[in-house]
Amino acid sequence: MTDPLALEPVLQPDECARPLYHDPELTHEERYHAFVEHVQAGHKVEARDWMPDEYRQGVLRFVEMHANSELMGVLPEREWIMRAPNLKRKLALTAKVQDEVGHAQLLYRVAEDLGKPREQMLEDLLDGKTKFHNVFHYPTKSWGDVGIIAWLVDAAAIVAQQALRESSYGPYSRTMKKICWEESVHIMHGRDVVVTMMNGTPTQREMVQEALDRWWGPLMQMHGPRSDRAKDRDLFWHIKAKTSEELRQEFLTIYVPRIRELGLTIPDPELRLDEAAGEWRYSEPDWNELRTVVTNHGPMSQERLDFRRENHDLTAWVRATVLAPPAATAVAVA
Amino acid sequence: MSPEHTGPLGQPVPAVGPTAKPPPNSEGGTDPAGRLGEGARPDIWEVFRQEKDGDPMRHAGNVRAPDRDLATHYARELYARRQESVRLWIVSRGDITDLSDPDLLQPPLDRTFKKPGGYVMRDKLDAARKRAVAGSDGDEVGGGGGASE
Amino acid sequence: MTATPERRTTRPLAEPDLPKFDVGDLDQATREALSGLLLTMADDEFVLGFWDSEWTGIAPMLEEDVAFSSLAQDEIGHARLLYEMIAQLRGGDADDLAFGRTADEYRHCHLLDHPRTDWAFSVARRWLYDTADAVRLSALRRSTFAPLAQIVEKIRREETYHLMHMDVWMRRLAEGGEPRQRLEAALDSLWPDALSVFASLPDEGHLIDAGVLAAPMSELADRQYQHLLTVLGSLRLSVPGPRPAWEGGRARAQPSESFRWLWGEFTMVHRLEEGAVW
Repeated sequence: MTDPLALEPVLQPDECARPLYHDPELTHEERYHAFVEHVQAGHKVEARDWMPDEYRQGVLRFVEMHANSELMGVLPEREWIMRAPNLKRKLALTAKVQDEVGHAQLLYRVAEDLGKPREQMLEDLLDGKTKFHNVFHYPTKSWGDVGIIAWLVDAAAIVAQQALRESSYGPYSRTMKKICWEESVHIMHGRDVVVTMMNGTPTQREMVQEALDRWWGPLMQMHGPRSDRAKDRDLFWHIKAKTSEELRQEFLTIYVPRIRELGLTIPDPELRLDEAAGEWRYSEPDWNELRTVVTNHGPMSQERLDFRRENHDLTAWVRATVLAPPAATAVAVA
Repeated sequence: MSPEHTGPLGQPVPAVGPTAKPPPNSEGGTDPAGRLGEGARPDIWEVFRQEKDGDPMRHAGNVRAPDRDLATHYARELYARRQESVRLWIVSRGDITDLSDPDLLQPPLDRTFKKPGGYVMRDKLDAARKRAVAGSDGDEVGGGGGASE
Repeated sequence: MTATPERRTTRPLAEPDLPKFDVGDLDQATREALSGLLLTMADDEFVLGFWDSEWTGIAPMLEEDVAFSSLAQDEIGHARLLYEMIAQLRGGDADDLAFGRTADEYRHCHLLDHPRTDWAFSVARRWLYDTADAVRLSALRRSTFAPLAQIVEKIRREETYHLMHMDVWMRRLAEGGEPRQRLEAALDSLWPDALSVFASLPDEGHLIDAGVLAAPMSELADRQYQHLLTVLGSLRLSVPGPRPAWEGGRARAQPSESFRWLWGEFTMVHRLEEGAVW
């Protein structure tokens, strides 16, 4: 971390020169290429910098989907806040869901500073014009789901999020560092819930296995189909750093052993590590299912969007007043 | 579907709204949404935090609130609810001036005379010490009474 | 008996909030009276924590969502501390107390029987409760029973923020227009239960004699009432009705419908399997 009291120059002399793309006397083409060089060399872009439209739109779309996912991700878990079976779990789950809301706030702020108002983003989400991740379109059926989601869904997400800490867009990169730090607690909480149940009664163990059976498919789809590195614009702009397949492999490497060591069975008979290639082999995920789900045709897509729309409308009157400046005379309250 | 646009986890995101590639004469540019100082949104408050006693204040992020009271409450929630801060400063975005002109902050001409690293005197010191040792055969330099010839 | 889960020894993560004490420090009668009082307090915090946590994810604004969720967590944290103290006083387990009773055995005040309703209602109800809670905690902070005084002090410090936050919201809602109308409607509907935190306790006299509680419930109700009038006055809100008189104590023949629903939710997983560890 930079010491704000450092007396030695942080940048080397050759880095002190004004980045080329800031120069308004260059042609757009020249600025564009200078900008591409800048991000591909690993440098950062800030909110008030000059940037090509494609970059701005790319970051905005990316961050907006991430923000939407945090916001919608709250819904599958919030009903279980009410049903948490003891005080410790109730506290942990409320705190976890609170964090998701907090992450949505951080991410919508980043997106807003790129030029799209928060209200517009919420409208687009509710109208189905923008999307959120597949896993949040599925129902939760038992406390077993709570453990599996908090552990494995969060784990799959954090594998992606850790890679995003190096994003070329400064505000997003910094936000991801904070988010990753906060998420590490969630995974521990989730694993604790699962391990406790696996050490419990046969009913509890069956509950976890049954939840895993339902969630494995969506988990394997979560990182998306294998993409062509050369065609991926988000990789080109260094908005993200790793491909879908790299993320999926990383997730499997860390978590398959941890799942199996608890005595759980992963419902994919094809799943195995190809030692020679150093890669996991698995049944091809159902990409049709993924496509159907993320276009809001998943089992809970519409219900959750409707729920959010309903609550948004119910509280519209609060935003209409609270967002207005306060009255001139401040009343003294005892 | 086009693999060109994927979400944060690699999921396909259908391209909607503005097209992916800008038209050839697009300008790029800066957007006023994130502006600091004059013209900044009045409902955005920047938050600075101090992690422990004696640390400098560090920029942590920003919150949206209609007034200073709520901004303070929200800053506490977003940046200190885990007891990770001992102090917070909440500043209206409009009150911040951004200075990032490299001509002002990183001017190109030599300024090493302003820094300790600009004074390299190893060779001179060596020479001075050698001279002092050679000169002290018989004489003390700077000692009481004895003046060197 | 179902398979006992392996006991893993884990390091305590932090200094425990509940100070250790010797049950013998109190005589039987005081112990029972104190348990009774603590149970009303714990149930109050527990039930309010539930209603407020319903706003998580759907509050009017993202920033407010996070803030309100912290209030809910604080209440559950306070409830946990209080249930633990009761468990130490009479034996048993905090979770069993919190999750193991039938709906009619809970002793929360009537103010907390209402569901969360709308934002103005939640704010008004919280404000009424927080005002009462501040008075109650004040009456316990110089308790001769030191462990109680200690936890009351910790709870009080957290509650300061709650009142501050509700103060901001009451002012904003009272300003005028639709928010003010909603606030007035909420206060009208809540008013009969406004002082119900201070429903009398059967053995409160004993607690006063033992120096545990500073004043009788009726006097604490007076203090709360004065605070309410002052704030309503400064916000230029009319007092919704005559001073509410609360007859009877905390026990109820029939829990309210909303509370029965809530009880069904929070005991759902717990009731799946007796004695299971979650």
